[in-house]
Amino acid sequence: MTETVPAVEICHLVKDFKTSFKRLPLRAVDDVSIRIMPGEVYGLIGPNGSGKSTTMKALLGLVAPTAGQCSIFGKDSLQVDSRDEVGFLPENPYFYKHLSGEETLGFYGKLCGIRGAKLKSRVEELLELVDLTDARNRRIGGYSKGMLQRIGLAQALIQEPRLVILDEPTAGVDPLGSRQIRDLIFKLKERGITVFLCSHLLEQVQEVCDHVGIIFRGKMVKEGKLDDLIAIEDQTELVLKDASPELIAEIEALIKRTGGVELVRKGKPRTTLERLFLRETSKEEKTH
Amino acid sequence: MNLISIIQLIPAHFGRTAVIAHHTFTQLVRMKVFYFLAFFAVILIASNFFNLPQHEGPESVGTHVLSKIKEWSLAAMTLFSLVISIVATSLLLPKDVEDRTLYTILAKPVPRIDYLAGKLLGVLLLVFVSLAIMDVLMVGVLQLRTNIVLEEQTALALKRGWPAQDIVVLKAEILGHGPTYSLQGAVIAVFLRAAVIASLALLLSTFSTSTLFTTIVSFLIFFMGHFQADAREMYLGGEMGTSNSWIAQMLSLLVALILPDFQLFNIIDEVIQGRIMPLWVLGKLTLLGLFYFIFYLFASWFIFAEKEF
Ligand SMILES: Nc1ncnc2c1ncn2[C@@H]1O[C@H](COP(=O)(O)OP(=O)(O)O)[C@@H](O)[C@H]1O
Ligand SMILES: [Mg+2]
Repeated sequence: MTETVPAVEICHLVKDFKTSFKRLPLRAVDDVSIRIMPGEVYGLIGPNGSGKSTTMKALLGLVAPTAGQCSIFGKDSLQVDSRDEVGFLPENPYFYKHLSGEETLGFYGKLCGIRGAKLKSRVEELLELVDLTDARNRRIGGYSKGMLQRIGLAQALIQEPRLVILDEPTAGVDPLGSRQIRDLIFKLKERGITVFLCSHLLEQVQEVCDHVGIIFRGKMVKEGKLDDLIAIEDQTELVLKDASPELIAEIEALIKRTGGVELVRKGKPRTTLERLFLRETSKEEKTH
Repeated sequence: MNLISIIQLIPAHFGRTAVIAHHTFTQLVRMKVFYFLAFFAVILIASNFFNLPQHEGPESVGTHVLSKIKEWSLAAMTLFSLVISIVATSLLLPKDVEDRTLYTILAKPVPRIDYLAGKLLGVLLLVFVSLAIMDVLMVGVLQLRTNIVLEEQTALALKRGWPAQDIVVLKAEILGHGPTYSLQGAVIAVFLRAAVIASLALLLSTFSTSTLFTTIVSFLIFFMGHFQADAREMYLGGEMGTSNSWIAQMLSLLVALILPDFQLFNIIDEVIQGRIMPLWVLGKLTLLGLFYFIFYLFASWFIFAEKEF
């Protein structure tokens, strides 16, 4: 394989914001470097105010870096053409209230230079993908939070970008809606689209991302492949189904007999509250 | 470098600017801006009926009514075009920033100049369409009224036994107060003035932090524009020869560059009185309008290009 151009390349990004009160500028992002290869799903996690959104805005050329540089598929973020192949869903997106869902997608499509029959079929396809076909003619002003987030995702995908940047895609969305969004991210991944998302909801990042970066107070504290980061190297998990008490007793005896091994924990694996909720609501839906 | 890339990509720029302009137009229409047209129709009808020609001397009656119709119509046009230009322009940009819709637009391959030009042209399109509708209404009413006046006055003159050539002169005079080309020129002048003030409001809104500030300052500059030339003359001295004259002249030039001179637009009032507006005056007004439009648009771009959100 030849060396491919990274989808996202952020080199030693520093961003200061001027504050009117203090002399000292506020350093929102401090020497952050991120490289995302095509096809990866990268999650940036960190608490509120740690500089996630600012990093993304710098990547999109919405703010100018104080130092360092960003590029998308090798094109500098400060150039307009770097945005040809990127779709962006901002934090808490909000669209023109007076447009319907369909008109919104049409507007963004035309901004990307798509016209006519091609635009029509693309809008159709995306409305289908984000499950808003029924709401297509309703004004955005009446959309729920989850619907806004989904129309935002559709808008980001309008010109079939190779990179999608999602700022807190599931913030403020109920578990069902957030599940839908997660499924959409999986679909993007299957199609080979690079995804760069950020969140403060760790569980969700864990579910979809294969690479993560942890950012805290503007600094990157840890970065790498998810599996490597969260594996506990000296432990092994064994989950059995329908195991008899005798078998378990036997295994425990075996462990005791063998030296240098320690049984750390034993019990039933718990499902998450979220999974429980989803399972029960989907049961409800089926019985109706 | 930026300039070259702009020239090469002109068709694409036009396309995107048109998309944003069209969207802005739709946005304003859906904000029910056109309702004021009904209001305008009422004003027009009122101006037609209030001045029933009883209490005036019979000779001046006809043209007086016609002048009144024009005066009211053009005043209403000026007011509406001014209010829409200023309020809509100073509202739209901060609204996009606040609602974060601007992020989604600038995250697409949309140069910032296209966004600004699109917004401005969208507002101007709305102003243009409104003025055109008002113009049609005005011309319609004026035409009707002119015909009535013409009939009445001719009958009156015949009754008094005026010589034929005097009647021809009278007819020409009355027609001069009806819907003339000069009147159309005055409507265009109203539009040009609105275009200048809208682009000024755009410039202000790129750096002001409140819509209210932009609106108030725009209105102030509009009023100042009508005596700006006099003020320059008075305070900075139009005459040569004084020791600090070149400084004064530079200053005077600078003021003229930043603050538009609206004195030329006073021709609108003269047209109402039945004066003819020469084509070269319209040409001069167009050039002046275009100059300020481009100057303010590029100044806005200069500020907006550096802006962070
Ligand atoms: N436009 C701005 N002006 C001043 N400070 C800002 C601006 N944008 C963000 N900040 C500050 O930068 C820091 C990082 O913000 P942000 O990137 O939005 O964090 P996150 O998205 O991780 O919650 C915060 O302290 C925030 O107050
Ligand atoms: Mg954020």
